Order: sequence, then structure tokens, then C-alpha cells
Amino acid sequence: MKSSILEVEKLTVNFYTYEGVVKAIDDMSFSLDQGDTLGIVGETGCGKSVTVLSILGLVLPPGRIESGSIVYRAGEKSLPLTGRSDEFMRSIRGCAISMIFQEAGVALNPVLTINRQVSESYLLHSQKELCESVLSDISQRLVKKRGIFRTYLKYTRWKYRRKMKKAMTNNLREGRYGRLLKLEAKQLSIALLANLGIPNPEEVVNRYPHELSGGMQQRVVISMALACNPKILIADEPTSNLDVTIQAQILDLIEQMKEKYHSSILFITHDLGVVSEIANKVIVLYAGALVEFGCVRELFKNPLHPYTKALLNSVPKLGKKQRLESIKGTVPNLISPPSGCRFHPRCPSVMEMCKEQKPGLYRMKDRDGKDHMVSCFLYRDTLPLTNRGG
Amino acid sequence: MNFLNYIVRRILLLVVVLIGVTLIIFVLLTLFSPEQRASAFIRDIKQLSDLNSIIKTYGLDRPVYMQYFMWLRQVLKGNFGWSTTVSRPVLDAFKFFLPHTIELALFSAPLIILVGIWLGSISAVHRDKPVDHFTRFLAIIGWSLPTFWFGLILLMVFYGYFKGLFPPEILSYKAQAFVDSADFTRYTRMNTIDALINGELWIFVDALRHLVLPVVTLAVIQIALIMRIMRSSMLEAMGKGYILTALAKGASPRTVIRRHARRNALIPVITVSGWLFAQLMAGVVITETIFNRKGLGWWWARAATQLDIPAVLMAVLFNGILFVITNLIVDILYAYIDPRVRLG
Amino acid sequence: MFFLKKRWIVLDIEQHPRLKEFKFSFDKILKNPLSITGLSLIFIFFMLAVFAPVIAPPQNRAEPFRIPHEGYSVIPKPPSPGHPFGTTTKQYDIFYGVVWGTRTSFRIGFMVVGSILVIGVVAGSISGYFGGIVDEVVMRVVDIFMSLPLLILAMAIVTALGRSLDNIMKALIVVGWPIYARTVRSSILTIREEDFVKAARALGAGTLRVIFKHILPNAIYPVLILASLDVGAMVLTAAALSFLGLGAQEGYADWGQMVSLARNYIVGPPGQPLLYWYVVTIPGLFILFFVLGWNLLGDALRDSFDPKLRRK
Repeated sequence: MKSSILEVEKLTVNFYTYEGVVKAIDDMSFSLDQGDTLGIVGETGCGKSVTVLSILGLVLPPGRIESGSIVYRAGEKSLPLTGRSDEFMRSIRGCAISMIFQEAGVALNPVLTINRQVSESYLLHSQKELCESVLSDISQRLVKKRGIFRTYLKYTRWKYRRKMKKAMTNNLREGRYGRLLKLEAKQLSIALLANLGIPNPEEVVNRYPHELSGGMQQRVVISMALACNPKILIADEPTSNLDVTIQAQILDLIEQMKEKYHSSILFITHDLGVVSEIANKVIVLYAGALVEFGCVRELFKNPLHPYTKALLNSVPKLGKKQRLESIKGTVPNLISPPSGCRFHPRCPSVMEMCKEQKPGLYRMKDRDGKDHMVSCFLYRDTLPLTNRGG
Repeated sequence: MNFLNYIVRRILLLVVVLIGVTLIIFVLLTLFSPEQRASAFIRDIKQLSDLNSIIKTYGLDRPVYMQYFMWLRQVLKGNFGWSTTVSRPVLDAFKFFLPHTIELALFSAPLIILVGIWLGSISAVHRDKPVDHFTRFLAIIGWSLPTFWFGLILLMVFYGYFKGLFPPEILSYKAQAFVDSADFTRYTRMNTIDALINGELWIFVDALRHLVLPVVTLAVIQIALIMRIMRSSMLEAMGKGYILTALAKGASPRTVIRRHARRNALIPVITVSGWLFAQLMAGVVITETIFNRKGLGWWWARAATQLDIPAVLMAVLFNGILFVITNLIVDILYAYIDPRVRLG
Repeated sequence: MFFLKKRWIVLDIEQHPRLKEFKFSFDKILKNPLSITGLSLIFIFFMLAVFAPVIAPPQNRAEPFRIPHEGYSVIPKPPSPGHPFGTTTKQYDIFYGVVWGTRTSFRIGFMVVGSILVIGVVAGSISGYFGGIVDEVVMRVVDIFMSLPLLILAMAIVTALGRSLDNIMKALIVVGWPIYARTVRSSILTIREEDFVKAARALGAGTLRVIFKHILPNAIYPVLILASLDVGAMVLTAAALSFLGLGAQEGYADWGQMVSLARNYIVGPPGQPLLYWYVVTIPGLFILFFVLGWNLLGDALRDSFDPKLRRK
């Protein structure tokens, strides 16, 4: 039985804008198990990005996490991630949980070299390791050199021991790293880039983002996220801007890295093809609400929610000549979302109660014995209600 | 190599501008009568009485385009004419007045840039909070101030009320007498620097005291401009994607602002700084007049009112050259800071 | 079959996106405290200018801009019942001077900015839309003019033409149009490449229609902002030139001129340094608030037209 590594419980996020309160996420609950790749599927604007940003505590004003809890389980400990200080969140971000963004070109700072951007991850979180390797390097050199070099080396050793002590207590201020630490970080960055399949990493590391191709840029962004062996990797549509061949490469790469680092992945996409390839579990979002959750195979074979069904239907099928199916209606305005179930205006199987109440989460066991949950009143008689929010 | 290409291209462009400036000057020249124009060619005071021969020698009654080249030839030889306001050749007067103006600019420019960047940065980071509103308020008032009036008010308050705390002119009598004497060697002819080199601290302090008001007058308006540009470019930088990436890596907001946002935000500011330095010259004209500091601006102002044509033309030429040089420096800096430009 | 129907055209604001945006901008401008202050200031000055003959009746109907002076005494006199703001050197009445000076300033501001707006927009539009060698030439000319500070070049031109307020205005016009040309041109260049223009073309819109309906309405905003800020800037520069002695004759109702008159009386006799505060402060304050009003308006316009700041 796999243990869950991340649990989101009744998350509600609102954005207070000039034109009104945007109810971006409405009472969402799901969990991520250790070693899983969870795909998050939905249309543009349905709240996928906001969900994962809440996990990292990066929902910036005018947005606010209204209620709900997010818990990260690291081994025995349970660490709540909501309502924590920014300092605490910073120790999690990039370290235990890290994120890959959609447009690599935009995600990279155009005026800094690749080296500085990748090293930043190491310098922020792996300070002790860096100090250790610098110190051991110095010790080695101490043995060899004599005379005036010894004194200089001893002084340097003393300097870095102090830095190490500071690093232990998280007191090493950003920016006060020193040349040797930065050099170490650079070496590590080069090694990491090589691991990610970037040719000539020693050269690339001194270049600027605009000098690289889209695929390479994305690899750099991924490497920034992987620098500190995160337990949870969040990928926000990392392949949406790439062409299909590069897309395949990147997906492979992510899979490899997942194997190597034993992480779990939250993969956001609107592309059902990508989901079927990379994820083993999927949640479907619509207008800020969780609509269905289940294993990938099961969901595709046996979709329960009308929205999921319509979504799968709208994918054009090879070999058949037919009209493109689309879901009638448009995505609702989240400032005044539909009452009750948010999908009801567009649902082909809408009932009276759908307009009045929000459906809870109904649980089913699929043929492999895994959970398959759906939030729809169609199943109120056939399936048991979970105690999770709906 | 691309860097070099870029620089070469910029230089060529600026040469065109310089030529254009000389054309403008020439057009202005043609608006004067031949007698007046003759004064642009004379070298010493004796020639003032014999304008007719000058007119003949320099062909001031010949067709316009020929005159342009003859004038240009003179200028390239270094003969800018005779300045009636200060009774000496224009080039000499220029060399005489330059150090004082440089001194003023030297103390103003860093102040303007640093304070402007700092205020703009704070304003953007604490957007819509009291700090922001306060600095923006100051900026708007600063931008609406008439320089000359502000200088006069400062003079009124500090000279009149605070009993000569920050007096006008360049040096007090005692200091000036010392500077003129044999005990004091002049290196740069800038009182502050020379005083330091000579080791006479009291002269240095004296000169500084006289500098305070003019620098403040000059700086206020320009700070308002820089501050506003920095603020808007910071706001733009802070909305970009790489900020979120940096935050997601676990960097603290302070680092993100400092290392990521600010560096990108400085780019437009640098472009403006070059323009600002040239604009300083306009402010200098007024400031030196008000505080009676005998520098380039003071000379040009007098020249304009007293129809000292060679001096006025020299003003235009000098500003054109200054603009060309500062733009070149700014372009180089720009390419250094923003790597995207080098390919362009 | 032909149907001739009479239809009422209903101006339904909700249906017309452009009008809706316009109304939105308008509302935003009116609600913004900055712009309200700016507009109020401008309004006050405007009223002052319009009612100048009533507020400060001229002695000589034919030459209202000549400030009356009783006597030739050089020493300024403080405010008194006959002279609400006191008198400056040579006994010119300050109150009269600043009131009629408002008219002068409006004249300078509107005429100069109006001219450079027209010249600059035309030059910039031609340059931006047609490109090629026309563009290159115009832009080089713009570069040349923009390489010299306004004040210096204006000074040179006024020296050449002769000292007068009209010549100051001419000089400012010559010096001021390049930045409009450049702004309009760069707007046009950017907008020309925008997808919606390409879309309009793809749908078959002709050149003229594209220019007027699509490009110009979007290109005009930065220029409007520039214009309202420039009214203040031009008045400031004109005042500076007048102060230096290159402008109106002594005794003409112009704010810069009046400050120049005060030059010898900035600091009073020892022991009473602020005695003649009114000769310098009052005309200067008028300049300050006039320019402030226009700057506030320009800033508010800029904030409300910036798409990123519109919907906070």
C-alpha cells in the first residue's frame, strides 16, 4: 500500500480583483501517493496552476488561500503547508518540492547566465554539502603545498568552516557565498546539465538563455528544479510550447529523472495524449472544482463524469470521418460561478438538484481495486460518499 | 565580435548626428548679417575693427554652401571666433569655464542616478503603500518645479535666512584669494579636487558648501524623472515569469528583487541616464546664472542675451558633441548589461 | 423586393466594445484623485484667464498685457489694499501680472503644443507607415534635433531671431516636434505588426481604413499623454527663457518675466532676509501650480491608458 506524500484537503482559493471576487478554487481535495505521477487535466483557466501554486505557497496577492489544508508527509513527519511563514516555505521550495514552468524562455532571466541560474538552486539549499566539498578540497591541497600557500589555505579553510557553521543554522545569508562555493556549485551545475542530456555543458553554462533553443531551455528549467533531489516535482505544462518531437524527449527525460531520484510528480496539462503517456493517476478539474479522480487506464476506458466523457469524446479519432465534437456552452465566469455543480449549465445529464447543491465525492473501486472517485449526482444512489469534502 | 559590430554601427550613426548638428549651426549662422557672422571668425580683439576684410577673407558674401565649408574648416582648425561677453577667443573661454561646470556635473550626476534608482526601487516594491504615494507625490512636484524659481527660493532661504550656510558663487573671498595665490597649485582647475590634491582641507569644505545648493537645484528635477522611470520598469520586471521561477527555487523576496528584478529594471534607466547627462547642461545654464558661478552655462546665458554669436554657436556644438559621446557610452554599457542586444 | 425601413440607431454602450472601453477610461480618469486635482487646477487657471479683464481690469484697453506701474521706484512694496500681491521692482503690480500672465501661459502652452502635435504626428505617421528612405531621413532629422537640449537650442534660435515672446514660441515649436514624430512612428511600427492589424488586412480592409480605424486610435494614446505633459514643460521652458532675458519685454504680463524682475530682490536687507518674499514666491507658485495641474492630468491619463494598470 503506497503511502501518500501530499494531501490537499478542502482547498479554497479566492482572488480579490477590481471586478469582483474570483472564486478560483472551490473546496478541492486530492492526494498524491509516493512514487506516483498524478496528471492534472483541465481546460485553460480551470485552476490547475493556482492549485499547484498554493502547494508552494506562491499564490500572490490579490489571491488568497481562504480555507483548507495542504499537508506534506516526509517519512514519519507531517508538515502542514498552509499558513506557514515565508521562511519555512522557502526551505521547502526548490528543495523538497520544486516546480517546472510552462514557457522556459519566460521562466529564465535573460540577463543572467545559465550558470548563475542553475547554481542558485544549489547555493540556496545545498550549502552544507558545498561547504563540505570545498573544505575537503582544501584539506587535500594543504597536504601538498608548503610555505606561504599553507597559510593562505589555512585562512581559507577557516573562512569556509565559519560559513559551514552558519549554513548549519541557516544563517548563511544569500549573496555571501564566496568564490569557492560558487565554483563548487558551478561544477555541480555542469554535472547536472550533462545528466539531463545537454551537450557541452561546460560551454552552455556560460551562455545566456536566449542563445539556447526551446528544448534546451526547457531542460535547463528542469535541471533547476531537480538540483536538490526534490521529493515532489510539479510540472506546469512543460511541453505545451514545444514541438512534438522535443515534447517526446522531454517527457522521456522527466520519466528518467523520476526513476533516478525516486520522486513523485504532479503533471499539469491540457493534452490528454500526454496524460495517457506519462501519468498513472489523473484528476480532472473543471472551473476550479475537482470533477473526477482515478487511474489513467480506468479513466480513459470508463469515464464517469459527464465532463470527462465529453472531454474524451472531443479528441479526434484516427480513421473515422466525423464532425469534431465539442462541449456546448462556454467556460463560466468565476466571479459569479454557476450555483450548485459548476458544470450544470453545460451538462447533458443535468438534473434539478445539480443546480441547487454541490455534489459530494463518490468513491468506486475499479477492477484493479484502486480508487476511482467522481463528483456527480448521477452516482448518488450507486456509490458511497467519501468523507472528503465535495 | 558581435559586440564590436554593434559599437561600430552606433558610432557611424552618431557621426551622422554630429554632421547634422553642424548643419543646424550653420543654418542659424545664415540668419545673421555678414557683419555679425564675421565675428565668428576673428581670433583677437584687434580684428574687431576691421570686419570688412574678414568678410572678404572668409567669403561671407559668397554662396551659402561654400560658406558652410569655409566655416567648417575654421572650426576644425580650432578657430571658433571671439566671444564679446568675456573678451577672449571662444576656445580659451571654453577651456576656462569648463572645469567649473564639470565640477557641478560631477557632483550632481551620481546623486541623481543613485537617489533616483533607490527611490524608484522602493516605490515599486512597496507599491500603493504610503511610501509609494509619498515618493510619487514628491516626484510630481519635483517634475513641475521651475528650476530657476526653485534655485531662487533655496537662495532666499539659505543665504538670507540661514546666514550664509550654503552661499552662492564658487568660493568665499578668503578661499579664492588663497587659491589664486602662489601657495596653491592648480591641477584640474576644479576647486574641490585641487584642494584635496593640495592638501588644503578647508578649501575643499568651502568649495563643497558652495556646491550644495546648485547641486540640489539641478538634481531635484532629474531625480523625479529617474525615479519615475525606475519605478515603472521595476514594476514591469516584477511581473515577469523569471520572478516566479526564482521564488519557486526558494529564494527570498529580497534576493529576487535585488538580483533578478532590479538588474532587468536598470536597463531602461541606463538609456535615460545618457540623455539625462546631456539635459544637465540645460539645467546648468540656469543654475550657474542664479548662483553666479562662472561656468559654461553662465557664459552661454550671457552670450544669448548679449548676442555673442560665436559663444552661442559653441554652446550648440558642444552639446551636440556631448550628446554623441554620452550616447556612445550608454550604448556600450547597455550592450554590456543586456546580452540580448549584442546579437541584434 | 426593396424594403425601406426606418430604424432607430440605439447607441447601446454594452454592445459596442470600443465605446465601452472609452467610457471605462473616462470613468477611471474622473475617479482618479490625481486627475481630479489636476483637472481642478487647470480649471481654476482657465477661469482666471477667461475672467482676467474682470478680475484685473486693464488700464489701457488696447494693451492689456502691459502691467500697470505707479512710479518707477525700484524697491518692491509689500501687499496692500491697492495691490493685493504687492509690487515688484519699478512698481509693477504683481497681482495684475500673474492674472494676465495666466492668459499668456495658456497661449504659449496651447499654441506650441498644438503646433508640435500636428507637425509631429504628420511627420511620424508618414515616416512610420511608409518606411524606406522617407523613414530614414525623417528619423535622422529627429535624431539630430533630439541630440540638443531644448533650452540650448531654443536659446540659440531666439538669439538668432531676436528676443520676444513670439520668437520663444517659434523656437519651442522648432525644437519640440521631433519627440512626437518619434513616438507616433514607434507606435505605428509596433501596432502595424500586431495580429489584429494583420487580421483586419486578411479580412480585406483597405489601407486607409486600416490606418484610421485600427492603427491611429491605438497610436494616439501615448501622444495625448505626451501633449498634456508638454503643455507644462513648454510653459516651464518659456518661463526659463524669459527669466534669462530672452523673452517678453520688461513689464509684459508673463510669469517668467516677473521672476526675472525679482532677481535683485531675492534676499532682503540684513536682519530682514525674507522681506521681499512676495516678488519671487508668488509668480513662481503660479508657474508651479499651472505646470502641476497639467502634469497630474498627464500622469492620470498615462495610468488610465496603460493596459497593465487599468484593471487592478
